[in-house]
Amino acid sequence: MSGKGNRLSPQASQQLNHSRSVTFYFEGRPVHALEGDTVASALLAGGRRILSRSFKYHRPRGLLCSSGDCPNCLMEIDGKPNQRSCRAPVQEGMRVLSQHAWPSLDHDVFRVIELFDRFLPIGFYYKTLHKPRLLWKIAEPIIRRLAGLGRVRDDASPAEYQHRYEHADVLIVGGGPAGMEAARQASATGAAVFLIECEPELGGHLRFETRTHKHEGKDRPGYEIARLMASATTALPNVRILVGATVFGSYEGSLVPVLQDQTLIHVRAKSLVVATGCHQYPPVFRNNDLPGVMLSRAALRLINLYGIRPGKRVAIMTTNDEGYFTALECLRKGIEIVAVVDARSTPSALPEAAELRAADLPLFTGMTIREALGSKAVSAIKIGSVADDSESSKSVTIGCDAVLLSTAWQANASLLLQSGCQLGLDRVLGQPVPVRMSPGVLVAGEVLGLRSLKEILRSGRLAGQGAAQWVYLKTNSWWDEVQELLVDARAKSTSCGIAPTGQSKNFVCICEDVTEKDLYQGVEEGFDDIETLKRYSTVSMGPCQGRMCSRTSTEICGHATAMDLGAVGTTTARPPIVPVPLGALAGPEFHPVKQTAMHYQHLKSNAQMMNMGVWKRPFLYTSVSEEYEAVRKYAGLIDVSTLGKLVVEGKDAPNLLDKIYTHWMSNLPLGRARYGVICDDSGTLLDDGTVARLASDRFYVSTSTGNIDFVEQWMKWWIAGTGWCVHILNMTAGLAAMNLAGPKSREILAGLTDLDFSSFPYMGCREATVAGVPALLLRVGFVGETGWEIHFPAEFGEYMWDALLEAGKPFNIKPFGVETQRLLRLEKKHIIVGQDTDALSNPYDVGLKWVVKLDKPDFIGRHALQKMQDQPGQNRLVGLRCLDDGRPDDGSAVVIDGQLAGRVTSARYSPHLNTYIGLAWVPAGHANPGSRIGFRANGKLHSAIVIEKPFYDPEGERLK
Amino acid sequence: MSFLLPCPNCGPRSAYEFRFGGELRSRPQPAASDSEWVNYVYTRTNMNGIQQEWWYHRDGCGKWFVAERDTTSNLVEKTYWIEEIIR
Repeated sequence: MSGKGNRLSPQASQQLNHSRSVTFYFEGRPVHALEGDTVASALLAGGRRILSRSFKYHRPRGLLCSSGDCPNCLMEIDGKPNQRSCRAPVQEGMRVLSQHAWPSLDHDVFRVIELFDRFLPIGFYYKTLHKPRLLWKIAEPIIRRLAGLGRVRDDASPAEYQHRYEHADVLIVGGGPAGMEAARQASATGAAVFLIECEPELGGHLRFETRTHKHEGKDRPGYEIARLMASATTALPNVRILVGATVFGSYEGSLVPVLQDQTLIHVRAKSLVVATGCHQYPPVFRNNDLPGVMLSRAALRLINLYGIRPGKRVAIMTTNDEGYFTALECLRKGIEIVAVVDARSTPSALPEAAELRAADLPLFTGMTIREALGSKAVSAIKIGSVADDSESSKSVTIGCDAVLLSTAWQANASLLLQSGCQLGLDRVLGQPVPVRMSPGVLVAGEVLGLRSLKEILRSGRLAGQGAAQWVYLKTNSWWDEVQELLVDARAKSTSCGIAPTGQSKNFVCICEDVTEKDLYQGVEEGFDDIETLKRYSTVSMGPCQGRMCSRTSTEICGHATAMDLGAVGTTTARPPIVPVPLGALAGPEFHPVKQTAMHYQHLKSNAQMMNMGVWKRPFLYTSVSEEYEAVRKYAGLIDVSTLGKLVVEGKDAPNLLDKIYTHWMSNLPLGRARYGVICDDSGTLLDDGTVARLASDRFYVSTSTGNIDFVEQWMKWWIAGTGWCVHILNMTAGLAAMNLAGPKSREILAGLTDLDFSSFPYMGCREATVAGVPALLLRVGFVGETGWEIHFPAEFGEYMWDALLEAGKPFNIKPFGVETQRLLRLEKKHIIVGQDTDALSNPYDVGLKWVVKLDKPDFIGRHALQKMQDQPGQNRLVGLRCLDDGRPDDGSAVVIDGQLAGRVTSARYSPHLNTYIGLAWVPAGHANPGSRIGFRANGKLHSAIVIEKPFYDPEGERLK
Repeated sequence: MSFLLPCPNCGPRSAYEFRFGGELRSRPQPAASDSEWVNYVYTRTNMNGIQQEWWYHRDGCGKWFVAERDTTSNLVEKTYWIEEIIR
């Protein structure tokens, strides 16, 4: 591996800064590079040829495309796997590791797998290693270890990505000559243009071209034109440019996402110009994957961007004129050319061809490469006649250390396909071209199949104009104008194809190591449709996603099935076009949290907090037993601000509530509250809560914490279209609420308000001033003790909390949290919707028959509930009391006669009964009070008895 | 699901700001037959083409409206308040 041997002298076209050197580490050893190098170019400059090992056979692979379209340069860079080293700019101190090779990239022990390739044909894992079943259990982990690319590190630090949202009139994808021209044209109309380019600079393929074209009066080399156009484009008004940014898909609603470093930009544009260019893909011949075999544009990039010679003795294989330009390029840079092989039988009439002949270069026409020879890099090629591909035909062996291929083009048309446009094969141009465009989507440049710079620029102008027309007029004549361009282009095209031979080691899919032989075998086995053949062989399913192989595999499929190429079709192009980190899609971590008005008081009391949806609630302050005792013997205070609170107001408010709730609400007296249940028209229980009447046309509705949004939406939906005069006001955040409960609660409250408690019955509601704050009091009994829910404006939260606790101090008041509340309500057999009920529960099965008023003419769920009362369900929700020392849990299994029969929904230890109690779903036949059932806890079976009445204060004496 | 929904009140917004409310259907009369009720509760037309459906602007104005969406392309042709088609 010589040091400076591969660098050419500094070129004007280069993107290197020769005065700034950069050192990075490859497999632990330092590599000296120049600023502007990519990791791959620096390694090649240092003489390295092998960049990776292939997926299945661990064959050595070298630089192929140098444009991010193939899998050969994938490496682990700074801990991130599967990075394209041909695209990664070098940075000081970067740590680069090869992937998937052991012990080193140059000497990979697993190459030995290739010796067994006879036993590893296409789809081998469907055919072998599974009889006996044990074989696969052994084989699978081994195969998984041996195959694959890259690894995810456990110690990877989470990357932080940002999201941005942009809008544009004209979004141009691709900053090559066509894209820049389109930008110029569109911006002249005043449209807001957004130009996106994935390489670090504008210019497209002109950046690495030294071929001259006429531009602004003079003949200039491509790279100079690129630079002039780039600075002109940058100076344009209302054109925003992003470089180093990749568009990775086109989605509904004209959403085009762009990934740039650590930012994901969601762009919505009125029109889209696709000027993404095209890429070359390699032909198929034996050992076409050897290091040193590369696409001609890769060589041009190496020479002109990085000043690196692709090899010392270069052979060129071509089916079009591009090969000749490449040959001349090498010649002018002093690189020895050992052969130019042109598959076309008529020698080219180009002046460039004459120049090559004059330089005495060996030119072979009507020939193609049959085989590349070499073990770790190409050392020679064998060429033969295109017309006669039989084994016995004459072949010529030519020694070389690099093979440049210019045989086929494929448009980068994924964005077009994803936008709903249709492509069709253009046999003259040799590639698919758009045949039907989606509205607002335009195309320009090489992606259309155009080759000459003049045509490319013209197509850019047309697209820019057409896009602006679309933005302003919602119509354009662009498509017809483009057809004329295509006719001209077809007239000039002179490429030809090469027929496949079906042999092994002729690699079609270099990502997945699929050979021609594999594909023919797949077709023979019955996978004769490109869709099934693709899935069976995994061709085009690797990192290149078909860029290097989809056309070839389609051709082979057509050839093997004797079908016309156009009829074979292509597989679907799906986003993302390039790999996108999940972190980029997720974006910044925002976890909204809702805190009640009393949140900081809870923290000050050292409460253990819990999450209830997005709300933070106190789980426990001291201990369940302490808090429980306080509520049952003295008084407790709990923050219930998270409950949904709706004010339903209007002359039709009673009608709405009658419709929504199963119980009567229109006859609710003033100053009274009623428990209500909401069902849907299938009779399923959706939510429960209290409805209190504040005025003839004003009700105060409470819902469970998790359902407030749903109930508000539900009510509004049922109002829509009725013409009712009723409004819903969501006061959940505006009001705070506390529940003061316990035998001493009346005394405590009496000291803070002037309310006359003698006329405040259970389930009443009153408006009064409490501790000087206007409040609504509801006398409810969720926890089974005398108590009041106090609702008041949230800004008084901390003050009221402290006031109540202060007033309750002489009475031993304690704050209590959600866990204690759960136990208290469980002792009263009060259900919690969502905990004790599920998406199939109806009011009858949970024991709420009294809440369903079928004498109401119509309410939601009435029809179903009427049917249900005659046909009770198979399961019932019942209370159960443990008979032994078992400790059931929420979710414990109910076991009857050795069979799984139901589940426990809530269970807690009851200090009142000194045993565990709970609610459980059991079969109707075992739901009668006194029935014995079993449950499973801690792996053992225990027994319990079904209880009908509440466990604590069954007659509700303490509430009166 | 990145299509845009033009809320009649707020204009075109990302579909994620809304909550889907199902196909537009007529609720049977309380006295309708069992089979009519079963059909209403459990079956849907599931149009392949333009469907009239309910949407709620959850992250916006909080109103329910009707949209006509082509289910094959997710293009929303028009949106309006229910009052415009119910008298």
